[in-house]
Amino acid sequence: MAEIVTKELTKRYPNGVEAVKALSLEIREGELLVLVGPSGCGKTTALRMIAGLEEISSGDLYIGGRRMNDVPEKDRDIAMVFQSYALYPHMTVAQNIGFSLRLSGVPKRELRQRVKETARLLAIENLLDRRPKQLSGGQRQRVAMGRAIIRQPQAFLMDEPLSNLDAKLRVAMRGEIDSLQKRLGVTTVYVTHDQVEAMTMGDRVAVLLDGVLQQVDTPTDVYDRPANLFVAGFIGSPPMNLAQTTVEGGEDGLAIRFGEHAIPVPRDLASERGLDAWVGKAVIVGIRPEDVEGTGRNGGGGDRKATLPAKIERVEALGASLLGYFRVDVEAPKGGGVAAAVADEELEDAPLIGASGTLFCATFEPRSAIRVGDSVEVVIDADRLHFFDPETETALSR
Amino acid sequence: MKRARRWGPGLLLVSPSIILIGIFVYGLIGWNVKVSLSNWREAQHTTKWAGLAAYRDLRHDAAWTENVHHILLFTATFIIGALLVGLTLAFLLEKGVRGEGFFRSIYLFPMAISFIAAGVVWRWLMNPAPGDRASGLNVVFDKLGLGFLGHQQWYLDQRTGMAAMAMPAVWALGGYIMALYLAGFRGVPEELREAARMDGASELRVYRHVVFPHLRPVTLGALIILGHISIKVFDLIVAIGGKQLITQVPAVYMWILIYDARDYAKGAAIATLLLIGISILIVPYLIYTVRSERRT
Amino acid sequence: MSTASAVPPAPLPVEPASWWRRTRGSRAQPLKYAGLLIFGVLILMPVYVLIVTSFKGIAETDVSHAWTLPHVWTVAAWHTAWNDLSPSLANSFKLAIPATIISTVLGSLNGFVLSKWRFPGADLVFTFFLFGMFIPYQAVMIPLTQLFEDVNFPAGIPRLVFAHIVYGIPITALIFRSYYATIPEELMEAARMDRAGMLRTYWSVILPLSAPAFVVALIWQFTSIWNDFLFAVFLINDPASWPVTVALNNEAGSLVTPYNVSMAGALLASLPTLVVYILLGRYFVRGLLAGSLKG
Repeated sequence: MAEIVTKELTKRYPNGVEAVKALSLEIREGELLVLVGPSGCGKTTALRMIAGLEEISSGDLYIGGRRMNDVPEKDRDIAMVFQSYALYPHMTVAQNIGFSLRLSGVPKRELRQRVKETARLLAIENLLDRRPKQLSGGQRQRVAMGRAIIRQPQAFLMDEPLSNLDAKLRVAMRGEIDSLQKRLGVTTVYVTHDQVEAMTMGDRVAVLLDGVLQQVDTPTDVYDRPANLFVAGFIGSPPMNLAQTTVEGGEDGLAIRFGEHAIPVPRDLASERGLDAWVGKAVIVGIRPEDVEGTGRNGGGGDRKATLPAKIERVEALGASLLGYFRVDVEAPKGGGVAAAVADEELEDAPLIGASGTLFCATFEPRSAIRVGDSVEVVIDADRLHFFDPETETALSR
Repeated sequence: MKRARRWGPGLLLVSPSIILIGIFVYGLIGWNVKVSLSNWREAQHTTKWAGLAAYRDLRHDAAWTENVHHILLFTATFIIGALLVGLTLAFLLEKGVRGEGFFRSIYLFPMAISFIAAGVVWRWLMNPAPGDRASGLNVVFDKLGLGFLGHQQWYLDQRTGMAAMAMPAVWALGGYIMALYLAGFRGVPEELREAARMDGASELRVYRHVVFPHLRPVTLGALIILGHISIKVFDLIVAIGGKQLITQVPAVYMWILIYDARDYAKGAAIATLLLIGISILIVPYLIYTVRSERRT
Repeated sequence: MSTASAVPPAPLPVEPASWWRRTRGSRAQPLKYAGLLIFGVLILMPVYVLIVTSFKGIAETDVSHAWTLPHVWTVAAWHTAWNDLSPSLANSFKLAIPATIISTVLGSLNGFVLSKWRFPGADLVFTFFLFGMFIPYQAVMIPLTQLFEDVNFPAGIPRLVFAHIVYGIPITALIFRSYYATIPEELMEAARMDRAGMLRTYWSVILPLSAPAFVVALIWQFTSIWNDFLFAVFLINDPASWPVTVALNNEAGSLVTPYNVSMAGALLASLPTLVVYILLGRYFVRGLLAGSLKG
């Protein structure tokens, strides 16, 4: 068990491309840190630098207090689970798991014992004599984990271990890996492009984009307090509704203009975000779909000032939830962060950018009878508004 | 029957080839076996049955025994040599070097040259000169201080002659074996090697435990191919050694028997034996390939 | 390689994934280069001797001076070699060009049917063909000659052309079948939906995509056929019809031919295949990479 510290870790390729830019992270002992981001964001490269499979261009890497930059990967005492599992095809499951022990000269009896224990831990004892090609995806995944676990290393590195599994299996394995990690208490760095995985598994989540660390926080904090536009749009499904609009001052306090309507901003929130400085200026506003409640047709409760009329353009009935999409008379936000968040293949129901007005998403009672074309009212929970600087795309704060 | 309408045209299109192969491969092989069992020993074409007379003749033929020795010695040296050279070259190239394409094209170019043309120069290089003048290769060995490798007689020595013949053969096919092994090396997923390194394996152990096991099928394939070439070898021997007994191999002996001695039955017997020898190698290999193809 | 030594074209190694990723083992690099260079020199040695000797005058042609550069560069040997071999060179062209083209086209049709327009037993037929690639051709030479005589097949080069076409069936079928196997089945299904029959599908869908396989097959066949010795020596009796391999062997083996002439002759005989290798080698490689040969 060891902590992993990176200081300004950078990976620069001969053609000048920087896959990882000055990444600084402190991963505590026993913590499960998830590195998440869209494809090409550098998360796998960062992981491989920690593993020693990629050379570090600049910056420092410390594992358990020792500087590891020049230590070859076989001497770092870290175990890695590869995306494709990388099981040795000509060896049995038992031989695969026990390979590292065999290399370090562990006596045969002890080796067999430990392989058995590890296999029992992962419920694959009955597969010990099979070859990888006879195993299913989930079974191979467990063998790969067994190979890592048996070494009792300082840390685990996992490179998208679940992406090759089908959806149901993925959900099941998620929980298993999580509880296994808690049980063993080994420091783990876990790479994924799936933000749901990131949110459910990590003690902390580190969001990367284009090699740059965007935010590292607990899942709840990343969700409730995204540091910038990208994180806001990337984390959360369905994604946050975003719009570019202006802040208005008034005797009753500040408000956000939404076409013909002005949504008042609660005083506490406004001062927390330093919104005073933005009166008359353009800001990017965000509100998550679950904070935009549909109230059924025409009217309903809620503070009238925080309501918006909505003409339903699209309905998504998901069984446990019901989403309604409607157009709001505001500009769509522009900017690289949003584009990156939206371009991610996971975000299928991103608000349509470029259409006149912006498509917003609201949640409805799962069994309410909403249909396309209905005119309803939605209530915005103004306490949950997010604000971003249109230039820097960072979240506003005092 | 409706289905037949679908694949019928295909069958029709290949049927000429099927017929041609049927006649010119299988039919003629059969004819050859028939000749080997006949009495056709001189220019007169007779088809009288003679049973295994020709084969018995071979068994008692001193020249044939020598031929068999020669071909075995040649095969062993050639195969080992080619595998070693090919493996070494592939090993040197496999991790990627600058100018790989350049090196590869050098090692592969002997495949473009006929054995005959190659034979012209190799014959000269290995030729013992009259008197005490050193031959081409011996000069090099002398200059490099490897004089002890120099062989005054090279391919004219009874015992080592055939082994020396393997040299031009390895020269010609080493590059091909290299290509086979290189593909094998590159077929090992990099992640597998990385996993082994993470498990604590040094580079040497990575080769031993991960890479070389992967190469076993390549070696098998190479063995089969080299083996069947070696058994049939004809051009090279004729080009360098001509018809001399000292470097004779079955394929050459057969040629001599047919054209010079007009002993068709005996020649056919040799051909049949060659065929049997090759079939032992090839048939299992073909079955194995077809089966594994069906599995995928 | 002559068809007689049926070596299946080697699969081409995939390029190493960005070599700058492999940062390990940089200590070993200079050693590797040394090894590669040594082998390179060894392989090129015979060529060096060939070239150098071919430009020497008779006086300098001496086995003990095999390695030295000529003091006097002369093309006399080349003149003689050309005079001696040009008729057989012509024969070789008359042989190789038609045989290559026909056997390649045949191979394409066979490969197409065996992989994409299959019939029950197609795989069996393929194996049936494949075995023909490995047989010792000596085994069929006598009966083949006899057969040619019996049907009065035009003697000389035509017999060789015919033989190479027939015995080229297995290898060309192999090349094309392997390549066509990489074409997605969906393409065939789309053609079927468009109501295309077999020949139509071949002509409009498959043939346009066949370039890589054609390159591999044409180069392979040309080289094999041009370099062949065995077939020629058994099937052609008249020296006037000899292809260059037989003529060269005859000349080089004769006691009166000086070495510089036979070296020049060897180079002359190898020029076409070498030119093909140098100019088209990379397309051959590309064709192999595209799937023209798997095993």
